[in-house]
Amino acid sequence: MTLDYLRLEVRRTLRDVGFMIGGVVMPVVMYLLFTNLGGGADGDWRTASMIGMAAYGAMGSALNTGGGVAEDRSTGWLRQLRITPMSPRQVVAGRALTGAVTVLPAIVAVLAAGGLVNGVRLDAWKWAVIALSLWLGSVPFTLLGLGNGYRLTAQATGVVNMVCNLTLAVVGGLWFPLALFPGWLRSLSSYTPTNRFAQLGTAVADGRAPTLAAVLVLTGWLLLFGSYAVVSYRRTARTA
Amino acid sequence: MAGTPSGTGAAAVRMTGAVKVFGAVRAVDGVDLEIARGETVALLGRNGAGKSTAISLLLGLDEPDEGTVRLFGAAPEHAVRAGRVGAMLQDGRPVPRVTVGELVGFVARTYPSPMPAGEALALAGIAELAGRRFDRLSGGQAQRVRFAVALVGNPALIVLDEPTAALDVEARYAFWDSMRSYARHGHTVLFSTHYLEEADANADRIVVVDHGRIVADGTGEQLRRAAGGSLVAFDLAGTAFDLAGAGTDGLSLLPGVVSLEVRGERARLRTDDPDATVIALAERGAIRGLEVAPASLDDAFLALTATASDAAPATASGAASDPVARLAPLETV
Repeated sequence: MTLDYLRLEVRRTLRDVGFMIGGVVMPVVMYLLFTNLGGGADGDWRTASMIGMAAYGAMGSALNTGGGVAEDRSTGWLRQLRITPMSPRQVVAGRALTGAVTVLPAIVAVLAAGGLVNGVRLDAWKWAVIALSLWLGSVPFTLLGLGNGYRLTAQATGVVNMVCNLTLAVVGGLWFPLALFPGWLRSLSSYTPTNRFAQLGTAVADGRAPTLAAVLVLTGWLLLFGSYAVVSYRRTARTA
Repeated sequence: MAGTPSGTGAAAVRMTGAVKVFGAVRAVDGVDLEIARGETVALLGRNGAGKSTAISLLLGLDEPDEGTVRLFGAAPEHAVRAGRVGAMLQDGRPVPRVTVGELVGFVARTYPSPMPAGEALALAGIAELAGRRFDRLSGGQAQRVRFAVALVGNPALIVLDEPTAALDVEARYAFWDSMRSYARHGHTVLFSTHYLEEADANADRIVVVDHGRIVADGTGEQLRRAAGGSLVAFDLAGTAFDLAGAGTDGLSLLPGVVSLEVRGERARLRTDDPDATVIALAERGAIRGLEVAPASLDDAFLALTATASDAAPATASGAASDPVARLAPLETV
């Protein structure tokens, strides 16, 4: 039953033109522009930016899951689901799984652009582990999106998701190399979930394991966004 | 997914003393309602009478502040989880980016013994829309998709909140035909409406709701009779009841009279026994411009829902202000 629901919601998400453009096309285009304009970037930045933009796309797609929830609340679809035999738990699980599936197109598309267009060369296992860590690392952002989607109106969720997305992307260093940042911003950046999210991938590309600090910071955000999602859900899901 | 064991003989719906308060408004104010299996019941009331809130309580979407709700002898959540309930909610907007066939098919698979999606679409009269996107349909078409969603699970109880609100006349007839054929298979149907004719034509029983309370419960015929089977009207001027005479208070004491309404110079009496009322009026010389007519269902509805807070002019009758008591013998509970 949850799988049926997952299939339905994934289908609905992939038909969302806004999602496809914002979550998949934009990160690919930005990646290719940022690494090829003005004489082109060096090999390191081609790889680091690939991971940053894949992370950016994954975050956008993950947040979008919350936008979907807000939309389903406003149309009454969540209320309709409550009078089907599906349990609230199954509905939430289906939604979270939808988030997990719909971050994949962005990750795959940007990594493909790196390998096929920008000539990034990595061992096969590195590609696989980078994709996997980006996939797992997107979970906190799905929870943040769900927290917004269960708490706010559809319109407010769209705005808040966008602000979160842009702020976290820029401050986390997904768009520009951290080296260009002033010192204070660089130290702030190391506490953002996005910065640590991308580090999961860049560490693998450099042939290292992710640092303990990266895992700890991400886990902290995971717990924070997770609690936010649970509190928001408890507050509004019953009246959805 | 198994049926609840307690659900074999219990009534489809049993609400006992249900109360739901929103701020200062008692949206549902002490409702007792029992619906037997296989019955088709209309919940009739004006906008804001409490119909939708009562339906929310019934479906377990809202918890009553007081009282209990049981569907097939179990809590609403259990009946819903067991797939015994299907519903069409009032203000749902179309689910975006999904085709009608995908949506109805998905809902079907959440139920333990659904009908084929195609059958539900055919019953709802929208078989040709299966491949169309739900959010690109007209209001009437979308309404019928919601009907298909409500019945595709083949639930024992189907609840329809103002199902014909967005439909034109023709679609309305087609809708009621489908609904009746679903009900004929032994399913229990509860629908809300503010159209009297719809309630009368399509329900075995009409439950009239006003200000969060049930003010009448019976067949259309019973309601007509209970509200005062007939209407007797006459001109007051020059009779013993005009302002120069004894006034109109005495009229409500005449034989058969259950309620009295004075508009300008004309008195309208609702009566159980028009013959006795007319004879009594004749004895008092009060038959100028006399008119005797059977009460329409509209008259019955207005009489049943007339309360002090409404603008009904000069409703002067002990009976009309307490319609529940007056109708008590009617209740089929």
